[in-house]
Amino acid sequence: MPSEIITLQLGQCGNQIGFEFWKRLCLEHGISSSGVLEDFAADGLDRKDVFFYQADDDHYIPRAVLLDLEPRVIHTIMSSPYAKLYNPENIYLSKHGGGAGNNWASGYSQGDKLQEEIFDIIDREADGSDSLEGFVLCHSIAGGTGSGMGSYIMERLSDRFPKKLIQTYSVFPNQDEISDVVVQPYNSMLTLKRLTTCADSVVVLDNTALNRIAADRLHLENPSFTQINTLVSTIMSVSTTTLRYPSYMNNNLIGLIAPLIPTPQLHFLMTGYTPLTTDNDQTVNVRRTTVLDVMRRLLQPKNMMVSTGHDKSNHHCYISILNIIQGEVDPSQVHKSLQRIRERKLAQFIPWGPTSIQVALSRSSPYVQSNHRVSGLMLANHTSICSLFERALTQYDKLKKRGAFLDQFKREDMFKDDLSELDESRNVVDCLVQEYEAATKSNYLQWSASRGETE
Amino acid sequence: MNDKNREVIVLALEKINEFCNGNLDAEEIYEEFSSSNKSSNEKLLNILKILSNNQINQHEILQEAMMSLEKTTPQQCLLKFLRRIDKNMGSHNYQFSTPNSNSTRIYDFSTPEILENLKEKIHAVASTSICRSQQNCSISNQLNISNPLTPSSSPSLFSFQKNRRKDAAQWFNLDIKEVDTQINIVAVPISTQEMILLNDIIFSLLGIRGTYIIPEEIKTSIGILEISFKVSDQIQKSLRDVTHEILPLGCYYYNIQNFIENVRFINCGQVLESLTATLRDLLHDYCLLISQLEFQHISGMLTVHKLHFYLRPTIKTMETLHKVINDITANSLTGGQILTLLYDKVNYLSGDEQTQKFITELLKRASLPYMNILYLWITKGIIDDPQNEFLIEDNEIKSRDETPENYSTDYWEKRYTPRRERIPRFLEKCSDVILRTGKYLNVIRQCGKKIDSGNLDRFHLFCPTSQMYMNIILEAYEFASKILLDVVLKENDLMGHLISIKKYLLLYQGDFITQLMDACEEELIKNVDTILPVKLENLLGLTLRLSSAKNDPYKDNLHCDILPVNLVTQMGKITHKLDECWSPENKIELTGIECFILKFDVKWPVSLVLNQFAISKYQMLFRQLFYCKHVERQLCIIWKENTTAKKFSPHTANLYRGAFTLSQRMMNAIQNLEYYMMIEVIEPFWHDFITKIKNKIENVDAVLIAHSNFLDNCLRNCFISDAVLLLGVTQLCQICLKFCEFLQKSQRLFVDAEMKSMLRDSIDENSDSDMDLSKQDESSLTPSDTFSEQVKKFNSNFSNLLVGFLKQINDAANENPNDRYINLVHRINFNNFYNH
Repeated sequence: MPSEIITLQLGQCGNQIGFEFWKRLCLEHGISSSGVLEDFAADGLDRKDVFFYQADDDHYIPRAVLLDLEPRVIHTIMSSPYAKLYNPENIYLSKHGGGAGNNWASGYSQGDKLQEEIFDIIDREADGSDSLEGFVLCHSIAGGTGSGMGSYIMERLSDRFPKKLIQTYSVFPNQDEISDVVVQPYNSMLTLKRLTTCADSVVVLDNTALNRIAADRLHLENPSFTQINTLVSTIMSVSTTTLRYPSYMNNNLIGLIAPLIPTPQLHFLMTGYTPLTTDNDQTVNVRRTTVLDVMRRLLQPKNMMVSTGHDKSNHHCYISILNIIQGEVDPSQVHKSLQRIRERKLAQFIPWGPTSIQVALSRSSPYVQSNHRVSGLMLANHTSICSLFERALTQYDKLKKRGAFLDQFKREDMFKDDLSELDESRNVVDCLVQEYEAATKSNYLQWSASRGETE
Repeated sequence: MNDKNREVIVLALEKINEFCNGNLDAEEIYEEFSSSNKSSNEKLLNILKILSNNQINQHEILQEAMMSLEKTTPQQCLLKFLRRIDKNMGSHNYQFSTPNSNSTRIYDFSTPEILENLKEKIHAVASTSICRSQQNCSISNQLNISNPLTPSSSPSLFSFQKNRRKDAAQWFNLDIKEVDTQINIVAVPISTQEMILLNDIIFSLLGIRGTYIIPEEIKTSIGILEISFKVSDQIQKSLRDVTHEILPLGCYYYNIQNFIENVRFINCGQVLESLTATLRDLLHDYCLLISQLEFQHISGMLTVHKLHFYLRPTIKTMETLHKVINDITANSLTGGQILTLLYDKVNYLSGDEQTQKFITELLKRASLPYMNILYLWITKGIIDDPQNEFLIEDNEIKSRDETPENYSTDYWEKRYTPRRERIPRFLEKCSDVILRTGKYLNVIRQCGKKIDSGNLDRFHLFCPTSQMYMNIILEAYEFASKILLDVVLKENDLMGHLISIKKYLLLYQGDFITQLMDACEEELIKNVDTILPVKLENLLGLTLRLSSAKNDPYKDNLHCDILPVNLVTQMGKITHKLDECWSPENKIELTGIECFILKFDVKWPVSLVLNQFAISKYQMLFRQLFYCKHVERQLCIIWKENTTAKKFSPHTANLYRGAFTLSQRMMNAIQNLEYYMMIEVIEPFWHDFITKIKNKIENVDAVLIAHSNFLDNCLRNCFISDAVLLLGVTQLCQICLKFCEFLQKSQRLFVDAEMKSMLRDSIDENSDSDMDLSKQDESSLTPSDTFSEQVKKFNSNFSNLLVGFLKQINDAANENPNDRYINLVHRINFNNFYNH
């Protein structure tokens, strides 16, 4: 089976969104919580084998590896109806069970210690697929396990599987509330470096925007993790829909992301989705959804899953856009909508290269009913994503200037001698911000990063 | 055999003897033939052989004679032989009449009253003895012998007829110049004169030479012998005038009689046969009329004026008939043409109801055999047309096993062909419908289905004179097309086949294509000559079984092949524009990718729609799409390899950015091209096509048309039919592939260099030697050209090609505003990057 994708779920956040993701995939493919194909889904024209494989008794098993250093979330999963879905050999829980204490360095070094056991699992999964296309990593960048161990695994993966893609779904922390994780800026910075240098594509899931969307657009007073994660799982499932319901184009991961990423560094993608509804929200007026409506709404910042702040100088622009449109769509409407967007200049594009709104028309699951005629997901490479990194830099600098909370880092091997790893990470992220800024200008091709000031 | 008969035969033998220069004695031959028994066949044959010397088709004649010698008595054989020779020599025929059982009288007497009147009079006359005219030949005799209803097979009648016909060779005794018994009748009182004249008129009307009315043969402008009559000056003028009005009837009678005699029954066609049979019936009725008039005359109740009055409608009708016959003879019309002539005549005569009715009847009966063939064709699909008159010809030459490849195409296009010149006028409008009706029925039969059309009993309604025939044809057509459409669409699942073709040849099943490329790419990037087709076939089979295609019922129809030319050359050959823009490239440079095609085998009757032409069009599309897909994959591979640059020091990345963005621009162009072809061209046209088939298609021909429209639209809009645009696409693809190759080669080098430099970076903190580094790795790349210069070259080449291509599309779009070309320009140049 071609183009298989192995999903790695790391830490509390990664396992939670992974859990929702698999729930969603099972629903779309008509697979029961125990992995058995439902009767109504027998004639399937979909491709389940990208994300699942079949056991000897034909029940479907996700190509998923669940990793955590503390048992809470994994225990929740294992006591849910979906417990039997996963291959128990693929669930790795650190024996010591103490977690990473929200410390990147701890997660990283535990990853190092456990790497043999972890890579046993990953290698076995990789060997079990005919032509593995890549890995998808679910994690958050702020905590300990997802960020620290995630960083370690990313580095190892890119060494071990240089020809395979590494895509991540990375959850960025909510800026609107004060985090109880004090070293979050350090964690973020160190993870961002690995995301820049090891991952091929990073889908940024900004908790700030997700919470705002839940509150403003879905009218949820205090959105729960589950509700937020449902949003995330929708994005993850739709962004893989062209792989699972193949048609003419975009039926492998590389074909999907390669056109979005013109130069290796600029690989942080934002997502947008419309129409946004929740399960329990039946009262919301069902809006008209033509292709043009959907494409226009996708270009509105309020539908984006990344909160970039206000672009005062209005110089940020799209490097590339891919819209995955599902539903009853006449291809000629697509062209008309694109022309309308072009004429009205609804989107601003980079000046240094050809780019356009790519549209992938995708079939959708026949088993999931939607009361919208057309729905759309946007995967966009937009230069304003750098504001997130700028924010991270500012917070990092604030903390670093004070030299606060560095003790727990110094306890780990990596930072025993000096904190140069932190500075180097900052440098990488700084260059990244510079590159994104440069990408808004027409002389980007000649641009070269200037040395960041190291303090 | 009576003496008279003997005389005739001897006379004929003498003539023939003269003709063949044989020194035989006619009497002796006759004796020989009448006395011999079967044992002396050989001797008799020898005589016949001598006799038939100088004949055109001697061999044939002898063959026939031999056959009849074996079957019948020598005497009959001789008679047959003579008849045959006689016909051959162009003299008047001996009369053969085809049996016409149960045919109805169609000749009308003016009114029933007159008829009734005549009958009574005839009875009265018959009971009283009446003085006969001094003529030696009685009319009743004449009447008797010309009755075609009497079976002509009995020898006595035949000889009798032959006798008469012998006379008829000089029918009116035209060659007798002097009239021996002419009496001067000027002195006779006018009433007696009229009686004598009536006698003469009646004779003339029946083709007997009169005393005072003398026939003369004249040749008309169209080369037909006709008769005109000269009435003696001795007849009183007023009587003479009336007589002149009646006499053309005699001409007509003569002419028609002549026509009937002259028809050659071998290969003259069923229509003509049927027409002459009808004419014979008519003449019989005509003679009946004349004889009734004669009875009236004998009983002294007829005057010339009365005669004229009685005959007036007949004259008109006979005149029309005479004209028709002249037309037929002059233009040597046969079959459908005769029907056209009659049909036109019917319409032309719309003012003359009686004659129209008469011709209509004639048309109805003459067309009977034709309509019979037609009816059989539209209800059963069988052509029973021994004399090649029917408007459709069956060209079955090949059997299906001989040429399975083109069988279906040829079958549909060539098996049955209409013959325009044979179509009668009243069928012209629906000739196409007729052709298809039978064709459909034949296809249905070939599919092994029984045809049960319930309207076999409606043949009696089926003639050109009633409007019903049109309805019957249309109903038969609807019936046949509905069944065949059901057979093709439902029973043989045309849609399923189409969807399978779309999946594989139009790349709809993207994951299958990806998997196939994964499997075959290694083989396909080789030179075309070194590729083993068997290996590809195996890989294809494997992929089909392992991929999502495994559930496809038609997956086994899929095979692959390697063509010896690439698409540009192939299309160049087809459009003959080869020399203008493309010199046939060296085969050595061709890779498998360019020559790879998928084949899709289909069985009868789906192969009617998915015929060889259609499949080749699909294959053209496939080659274009497949090649683009391959380029996209190569660009993706390059992209993945480029991602190693993430690890490079951010300060040197700009050295490679030119190369990366160029490959990205290529990717953009190729993906947009693919998207355009697949989503904006193929998919909408496909959608239209499928909706058409599902909703409003009525027959298989319409399916074929819709299908070929779909394919042609796709070919045109995918730039395949236009040699210049196709070349543009191909060149774009080629430069992309070259660039991929170049990047792949240099990549190894610069990755090494960068990694080393980063190592050095970490060792030597204050290294500020980016420039040195770049020089170093560039020089290590290529001795002559630096890396960035090479990239620059590719860059400008690619830009020129692409901009040129976009411009060509723009021009093409302006010329053909209905096509979608311009969509591609909009897509590739979405952010106006290529405007400057």
